Amino acid sequence: MTIHSLYIYDRHCICVYYQDWHRTRRPKPAVEGGILPAVSQAVSPSPHLANTPGSVYSGYGSPRNTLSSNTGVVVAVNDMLAQAPPTPLLQAPPSPSPATLTSTGLAFDEEAKLVYGVILSLRNMVKKLSGRDEQFVNYRTSAYKLHVYESVSGYKFVMLSNPEAESLRFILRQIYIGPFLEYVVRNPLVQMDSREYGIDNEYFRASIDRLVRGLSVFP
Amino acid sequence: MAIFGLWVRTFSGSPVWVLKAIKVINKAGGLVFQRNFADGLAQLTSNEYLVLAGTLHGIHAITSRLSPMGSSSGAQVIEGESFKMTILLTATATKFVLLTSLAEPNPDNTLQKVYEIYSDAVMKNPFHTPEMPIRSEGFDARITALIGSGQ
Repeated sequence: MTIHSLYIYDRHCICVYYQDWHRTRRPKPAVEGGILPAVSQAVSPSPHLANTPGSVYSGYGSPRNTLSSNTGVVVAVNDMLAQAPPTPLLQAPPSPSPATLTSTGLAFDEEAKLVYGVILSLRNMVKKLSGRDEQFVNYRTSAYKLHVYESVSGYKFVMLSNPEAESLRFILRQIYIGPFLEYVVRNPLVQMDSREYGIDNEYFRASIDRLVRGLSVFP
Repeated sequence: MAIFGLWVRTFSGSPVWVLKAIKVINKAGGLVFQRNFADGLAQLTSNEYLVLAGTLHGIHAITSRLSPMGSSSGAQVIEGESFKMTILLTATATKFVLLTSLAEPNPDNTLQKVYEIYSDAVMKNPFHTPEMPIRSEGFDARITALIGSGQ
Protein backbone atom coordinates (compact mmCIF):
# COMPACT_ATOMS: atom_id res chain seq x y z
CA MET A 1 0.00 0.00 0.00
CA THR A 2 1.11 3.49 -0.63
CA ILE A 3 0.25 6.85 0.78
CA HIS A 4 0.55 9.71 -1.66
CA SER A 5 -0.39 12.94 -0.02
CA LEU A 6 -2.09 14.71 2.85
CA TYR A 7 -4.11 17.92 2.79
CA ILE A 8 -5.51 19.71 5.82
CA TYR A 9 -8.26 22.28 5.40
CA ASP A 10 -9.63 24.58 8.07
CA ARG A 11 -13.27 25.53 8.51
CA HIS A 12 -12.86 28.47 6.13
CA CYS A 13 -12.25 26.08 3.24
CA ILE A 14 -8.59 27.11 3.14
CA CYS A 15 -5.79 24.62 2.68
CA VAL A 16 -3.52 25.11 5.71
CA TYR A 17 -1.16 22.18 5.28
CA TYR A 18 0.11 19.90 2.55
CA GLN A 19 2.58 17.05 2.47
CA ASP A 20 3.29 14.32 -0.03
CA TRP A 21 5.28 11.12 -0.13
CA HIS A 22 5.11 9.05 -3.29
CA ARG A 23 3.83 11.19 -6.06
CA THR A 24 4.89 10.73 -9.64
CA ARG A 25 2.72 13.62 -10.70
CA ARG A 26 3.16 16.80 -8.75
CA PRO A 27 1.13 19.96 -9.08
CA LYS A 28 2.98 23.03 -10.24
CA PRO A 29 3.89 25.46 -7.45
CA ALA A 30 1.04 27.71 -6.49
CA VAL A 31 0.81 31.13 -8.01
CA GLU A 32 1.82 34.09 -5.86
CA GLY A 33 -0.97 34.70 -3.37
CA GLY A 34 -2.70 31.47 -4.35
CA ILE A 35 -2.03 29.75 -1.05
CA LEU A 36 -1.27 30.96 2.45
CA PRO A 37 2.26 31.11 3.77
CA ALA A 38 3.24 28.10 5.86
CA VAL A 39 1.28 25.45 4.02
CA SER A 40 4.08 23.55 2.37
CA GLN A 41 7.40 24.71 1.03
CA ALA A 42 7.28 22.11 -1.68
CA VAL A 43 4.49 23.85 -3.48
CA SER A 44 4.85 27.43 -2.28
CA PRO A 45 5.77 30.13 -4.72
CA SER A 46 9.08 30.95 -3.03
CA PRO A 47 11.51 32.67 -5.37
CA HIS A 48 14.58 32.22 -3.17
CA LEU A 49 14.31 28.48 -3.49
CA ALA A 50 14.59 28.73 -7.21
CA ASN A 51 18.01 30.32 -6.82
CA THR A 52 19.28 27.69 -4.43
CA PRO A 53 21.54 25.11 -5.98
CA GLY A 54 19.71 21.84 -6.34
CA SER A 55 22.62 19.88 -4.91
CA VAL A 56 22.05 21.33 -1.48
CA TYR A 57 18.68 19.64 -1.36
CA SER A 58 19.57 16.47 -3.14
CA GLY A 59 19.35 14.57 0.13
CA TYR A 60 15.64 15.17 0.28
CA GLY A 61 14.90 12.00 -1.62
CA SER A 62 16.17 9.95 1.27
CA PRO A 63 13.40 9.61 3.80
CA ARG A 64 15.66 9.65 6.84
CA ASN A 65 17.25 12.94 5.94
CA THR A 66 14.01 14.79 6.42
CA LEU A 67 13.90 13.59 9.98
CA SER A 68 17.36 14.62 11.16
CA SER A 69 16.88 17.87 12.90
CA ASN A 70 20.06 19.63 13.90
CA THR A 71 18.54 22.89 14.96
CA GLY A 72 16.15 22.15 17.78
CA VAL A 73 14.24 25.26 16.88
CA VAL A 74 10.50 25.16 16.43
CA VAL A 75 9.74 27.08 13.34
CA ALA A 76 6.14 27.56 14.24
CA VAL A 77 5.11 29.80 11.43
CA ASN A 78 7.51 30.09 8.60
CA ASP A 79 6.47 33.53 7.50
CA MET A 80 10.12 34.51 7.54
CA LEU A 81 10.52 32.20 4.64
CA ALA A 82 11.72 34.81 2.23
CA GLN A 83 14.60 35.87 4.47
CA ALA A 84 15.61 32.77 6.33
CA PRO A 85 17.24 29.81 4.66
CA PRO A 86 15.13 26.69 4.95
CA THR A 87 15.75 24.55 8.00
CA PRO A 88 16.66 20.92 7.41
CA LEU A 89 13.21 19.60 8.17
CA LEU A 90 11.51 22.02 5.86
CA GLN A 91 13.62 21.58 2.81
CA ALA A 92 12.01 21.82 -0.52
CA PRO A 93 12.60 18.87 -2.77
CA PRO A 94 14.90 19.27 -5.74
CA SER A 95 13.17 20.43 -8.84
CA PRO A 96 11.46 17.35 -10.18
CA SER A 97 13.32 15.65 -12.96
CA PRO A 98 11.10 15.07 -15.96
CA ALA A 99 11.95 11.39 -16.03
CA THR A 100 10.36 10.57 -12.68
CA LEU A 101 8.01 13.41 -11.92
CA THR A 102 5.45 14.75 -14.27
CA SER A 103 3.18 17.64 -13.63
CA THR A 104 -0.55 17.30 -13.20
CA GLY A 105 -0.76 20.49 -15.20
CA LEU A 106 -2.51 22.18 -12.32
CA ALA A 107 -1.03 24.75 -10.00
CA PHE A 108 -1.14 23.62 -6.38
CA ASP A 109 -3.69 26.20 -5.35
CA GLU A 110 -6.00 25.03 -8.13
CA GLU A 111 -5.54 21.44 -7.11
CA ALA A 112 -6.24 22.23 -3.46
CA LYS A 113 -9.46 23.97 -4.43
CA LEU A 114 -10.53 21.05 -6.60
CA VAL A 115 -9.90 18.59 -3.77
CA TYR A 116 -11.89 20.74 -1.40
CA GLY A 117 -14.70 21.13 -3.91
CA VAL A 118 -14.94 17.41 -4.42
CA ILE A 119 -15.06 16.52 -0.73
CA LEU A 120 -17.55 19.29 0.00
CA SER A 121 -19.86 18.23 -2.83
CA LEU A 122 -19.62 14.59 -1.89
CA ARG A 123 -20.26 15.39 1.75
CA ASN A 124 -23.41 17.25 0.81
CA MET A 125 -24.48 14.50 -1.54
CA VAL A 126 -24.04 11.81 1.09
CA LYS A 127 -25.99 13.89 3.60
CA LYS A 128 -28.77 14.44 1.11
CA LEU A 129 -29.00 10.80 0.06
CA SER A 130 -28.88 9.39 3.57
CA GLY A 131 -31.24 12.02 4.94
CA ARG A 132 -29.25 12.24 8.17
CA ASP A 133 -25.96 13.63 9.38
CA GLU A 134 -23.84 11.02 7.71
CA GLN A 135 -20.22 11.65 6.80
CA PHE A 136 -18.64 11.00 3.46
CA VAL A 137 -15.79 8.55 4.07
CA ASN A 138 -13.83 7.87 0.92
CA TYR A 139 -13.95 7.39 -2.82
CA ARG A 140 -11.88 5.30 -5.17
CA THR A 141 -10.80 5.64 -8.79
CA SER A 142 -8.59 3.35 -10.84
CA ALA A 143 -5.44 5.18 -9.71
CA TYR A 144 -6.00 6.35 -6.15
CA LYS A 145 -8.33 6.45 -3.17
CA LEU A 146 -9.20 9.58 -1.24
CA HIS A 147 -10.00 9.42 2.49
CA VAL A 148 -11.58 12.15 4.57
CA TYR A 149 -11.74 12.73 8.29
CA GLU A 150 -13.43 15.81 9.68
CA SER A 151 -12.83 17.01 13.23
CA VAL A 152 -15.62 18.62 15.23
CA SER A 153 -13.85 21.96 14.85
CA GLY A 154 -14.23 21.75 11.10
CA TYR A 155 -10.68 20.79 10.19
CA LYS A 156 -10.72 18.36 7.32
CA PHE A 157 -7.93 15.84 6.92
CA VAL A 158 -7.70 14.45 3.41
CA MET A 159 -5.37 11.63 2.45
CA LEU A 160 -4.69 10.07 -0.93
CA SER A 161 -3.53 6.47 -1.05
CA ASN A 162 -3.36 3.66 -3.54
CA PRO A 163 -6.80 2.38 -4.62
CA GLU A 164 -6.53 -1.00 -2.90
CA ALA A 165 -6.01 0.48 0.56
CA GLU A 166 -8.47 -0.16 3.35
CA SER A 167 -10.09 2.79 5.03
CA LEU A 168 -7.39 5.10 6.40
CA ARG A 169 -9.71 7.09 8.62
CA PHE A 170 -8.04 5.85 11.77
CA ILE A 171 -4.70 7.18 10.52
CA LEU A 172 -6.21 10.58 9.85
CA ARG A 173 -7.67 10.49 13.32
CA GLN A 174 -4.27 9.57 14.71
CA ILE A 175 -2.75 12.54 12.94
CA TYR A 176 -5.43 14.68 14.50
CA ILE A 177 -5.06 13.44 18.07
CA GLY A 178 -1.28 13.10 17.80
CA PRO A 179 0.83 15.57 15.81
CA PHE A 180 -1.98 18.02 15.16
CA LEU A 181 -2.95 18.50 18.80
CA GLU A 182 0.63 18.37 20.01
CA TYR A 183 2.37 20.66 17.55
CA VAL A 184 -0.40 22.88 16.24
CA VAL A 185 -3.15 23.24 18.82
CA ARG A 186 -0.75 23.30 21.77
CA ASN A 187 1.72 25.53 20.00
CA PRO A 188 1.13 29.15 20.97
CA LEU A 189 3.15 30.35 18.01
CA VAL A 190 0.79 28.84 15.47
CA GLN A 191 -1.99 31.14 14.44
CA MET A 192 -4.83 28.77 13.90
CA ASP A 193 -7.95 29.95 12.16
CA SER A 194 -6.22 33.15 11.09
CA ARG A 195 -6.96 32.89 7.36
CA GLU A 196 -3.49 34.31 6.88
CA TYR A 197 -1.10 31.54 7.80
CA GLY A 198 -1.00 27.83 7.35
CA ILE A 199 -0.10 25.56 10.23
CA ASP A 200 3.10 24.11 8.83
CA ASN A 201 5.99 23.85 11.24
CA GLU A 202 9.06 21.74 11.48
CA TYR A 203 7.98 19.48 14.30
CA PHE A 204 4.49 18.96 12.96
CA ARG A 205 5.85 17.95 9.58
CA ALA A 206 8.47 15.65 11.04
CA SER A 207 5.97 14.10 13.40
CA ILE A 208 3.47 13.35 10.64
CA ASP A 209 6.27 12.02 8.50
CA ARG A 210 7.33 9.66 11.27
CA LEU A 211 3.77 8.53 11.89
CA VAL A 212 3.04 7.85 8.23
CA ARG A 213 6.35 6.13 7.54
CA GLY A 214 5.85 3.93 10.56
CA LEU A 215 2.55 2.60 9.27
CA SER A 216 2.30 -0.94 8.09
CA VAL A 217 0.59 0.33 4.97
CA PHE A 218 3.61 2.44 4.08
CA PRO A 219 5.94 0.54 1.75
CA MET B 1 -22.43 11.31 -19.82
CA ALA B 2 -25.37 9.58 -18.35
CA ILE B 3 -25.77 8.22 -14.92
CA PHE B 4 -27.71 5.15 -15.31
CA GLY B 5 -29.06 3.79 -12.21
CA LEU B 6 -29.00 4.82 -8.67
CA TRP B 7 -29.91 1.72 -6.77
CA VAL B 8 -29.98 1.33 -3.10
CA ARG B 9 -29.88 -1.96 -1.38
CA THR B 10 -29.82 -2.61 2.30
CA PHE B 11 -29.22 -5.71 4.23
CA SER B 12 -32.39 -6.19 6.18
CA GLY B 13 -31.34 -8.92 8.56
CA SER B 14 -32.37 -11.78 6.33
CA PRO B 15 -30.12 -12.87 3.49
CA VAL B 16 -32.30 -10.93 1.09
CA TRP B 17 -30.92 -7.78 -0.46
CA VAL B 18 -33.42 -5.05 -0.92
CA LEU B 19 -32.76 -2.67 -3.71
CA LYS B 20 -33.65 0.86 -2.81
CA ALA B 21 -33.34 3.18 -5.74
CA ILE B 22 -32.40 3.37 -9.37
CA LYS B 23 -31.48 6.47 -11.27
CA VAL B 24 -30.48 6.96 -14.85
CA ILE B 25 -28.79 10.10 -16.07
CA ASN B 26 -27.95 11.06 -19.63
CA LYS B 27 -24.65 12.11 -21.19
CA ALA B 28 -24.98 15.76 -20.36
CA GLY B 29 -25.45 15.02 -16.69
CA GLY B 30 -29.24 14.88 -16.86
CA LEU B 31 -31.11 12.19 -15.01
CA VAL B 32 -33.02 9.93 -17.39
CA PHE B 33 -34.02 7.15 -15.04
CA GLN B 34 -34.39 6.95 -11.32
CA ARG B 35 -36.08 4.45 -9.16
CA ASN B 36 -36.14 3.61 -5.48
CA PHE B 37 -36.34 0.04 -4.33
CA ALA B 38 -36.31 0.18 -0.58
CA ASP B 39 -36.50 2.55 2.31
CA GLY B 40 -33.43 3.56 4.21
CA LEU B 41 -32.19 6.47 2.23
CA ALA B 42 -34.02 9.75 2.24
CA GLN B 43 -36.88 10.29 -0.16
CA LEU B 44 -36.00 13.25 -2.32
CA THR B 45 -37.97 15.13 -4.90
CA SER B 46 -37.20 14.46 -8.54
CA ASN B 47 -35.68 17.91 -8.75
CA GLU B 48 -33.23 17.08 -5.97
CA TYR B 49 -32.28 13.90 -7.77
CA LEU B 50 -31.61 15.92 -10.89
CA VAL B 51 -29.29 18.21 -8.96
CA LEU B 52 -27.46 15.30 -7.36
CA ALA B 53 -27.00 13.65 -10.74
CA GLY B 54 -25.53 16.84 -12.16
CA THR B 55 -23.21 17.18 -9.18
CA LEU B 56 -22.03 13.61 -9.54
CA HIS B 57 -21.38 14.22 -13.21
CA GLY B 58 -19.09 17.13 -12.33
CA ILE B 59 -17.34 15.35 -9.48
CA HIS B 60 -16.66 12.39 -11.68
CA ALA B 61 -14.84 14.61 -14.16
CA ILE B 62 -12.79 16.37 -11.45
CA THR B 63 -11.71 13.21 -9.66
CA SER B 64 -9.94 11.96 -12.76
CA ARG B 65 -7.77 15.09 -12.73
CA LEU B 66 -6.61 14.82 -9.13
CA SER B 67 -4.58 11.67 -9.58
CA PRO B 68 -1.22 11.69 -7.82
CA MET B 69 0.01 8.77 -9.91
CA GLY B 70 -0.46 8.94 -13.65
CA SER B 71 -3.77 9.04 -15.42
CA SER B 72 -6.86 7.96 -13.59
CA SER B 73 -10.45 7.09 -14.23
CA GLY B 74 -13.19 9.04 -12.53
CA ALA B 75 -14.54 7.93 -9.17
CA GLN B 76 -15.65 4.31 -9.24
CA VAL B 77 -16.87 3.79 -5.71
CA ILE B 78 -17.97 6.50 -3.28
CA GLU B 79 -18.54 5.48 0.32
CA GLY B 80 -20.49 7.05 3.13
CA GLU B 81 -20.84 5.60 6.60
CA SER B 82 -23.81 3.38 5.80
CA PHE B 83 -23.98 3.07 2.03
CA LYS B 84 -21.86 3.23 -1.07
CA MET B 85 -22.34 4.37 -4.64
CA THR B 86 -20.83 2.28 -7.38
CA ILE B 87 -20.43 4.01 -10.72
CA LEU B 88 -20.08 2.30 -14.07
CA LEU B 89 -18.89 4.51 -16.89
CA THR B 90 -19.60 2.94 -20.25
CA ALA B 91 -17.65 3.49 -23.44
CA THR B 92 -20.39 5.79 -24.64
CA ALA B 93 -20.02 7.98 -21.56
CA THR B 94 -23.28 6.84 -20.04
CA LYS B 95 -23.03 6.38 -16.29
CA PHE B 96 -24.86 3.77 -14.27
CA VAL B 97 -24.96 4.39 -10.56
CA LEU B 98 -25.90 1.81 -8.00
CA LEU B 99 -26.57 2.63 -4.37
CA THR B 100 -26.02 -0.31 -2.07
CA SER B 101 -25.21 -1.07 1.50
CA LEU B 102 -21.50 -1.15 2.33
CA ALA B 103 -21.51 -4.93 2.60
CA GLU B 104 -22.94 -5.55 -0.88
CA PRO B 105 -20.44 -8.01 -2.31
CA ASN B 106 -20.68 -7.51 -6.04
CA PRO B 107 -22.20 -4.24 -7.20
CA ASP B 108 -20.06 -4.19 -10.36
CA ASN B 109 -21.72 -7.37 -11.61
CA THR B 110 -25.15 -5.95 -11.02
CA LEU B 111 -24.24 -2.79 -12.88
CA GLN B 112 -22.92 -4.82 -15.78
CA LYS B 113 -26.25 -6.65 -15.94
CA VAL B 114 -28.13 -3.37 -15.84
CA TYR B 115 -26.03 -2.20 -18.73
CA GLU B 116 -26.99 -5.30 -20.66
CA ILE B 117 -30.65 -4.73 -19.89
CA TYR B 118 -30.28 -1.12 -20.95
CA SER B 119 -28.72 -2.17 -24.24
CA ASP B 120 -31.45 -4.71 -24.91
CA ALA B 121 -34.51 -2.91 -23.66
CA VAL B 122 -33.67 0.70 -24.34
CA MET B 123 -31.08 1.04 -27.08
CA LYS B 124 -32.74 -1.53 -29.31
CA ASN B 125 -36.05 0.21 -28.93
CA PRO B 126 -36.69 2.23 -32.12
CA PHE B 127 -39.09 4.50 -30.26
CA HIS B 128 -36.52 5.59 -27.72
CA THR B 129 -34.88 8.97 -28.20
CA PRO B 130 -31.27 8.90 -27.01
CA GLU B 131 -30.48 11.11 -24.01
CA MET B 132 -34.16 11.42 -23.16
CA PRO B 133 -35.87 9.96 -20.10
CA ILE B 134 -36.45 6.25 -20.33
CA ARG B 135 -40.09 5.31 -20.37
CA SER B 136 -40.07 1.66 -21.16
CA GLU B 137 -42.13 -1.00 -19.45
CA GLY B 138 -39.78 -3.67 -20.68
CA PHE B 139 -36.81 -1.97 -19.05
CA ASP B 140 -38.75 -1.49 -15.83
CA ALA B 141 -39.85 -5.09 -15.76
CA ARG B 142 -36.39 -6.49 -16.37
CA ILE B 143 -34.82 -4.22 -13.78
CA THR B 144 -37.42 -5.40 -11.31
CA ALA B 145 -36.64 -8.97 -12.22
CA LEU B 146 -32.92 -8.40 -11.74
CA ILE B 147 -33.35 -6.77 -8.38
CA GLY B 148 -36.05 -9.17 -7.29
CA SER B 149 -33.76 -12.08 -7.98
CA GLY B 150 -31.46 -10.91 -5.24
CA GLN B 151 -28.71 -10.07 -7.66
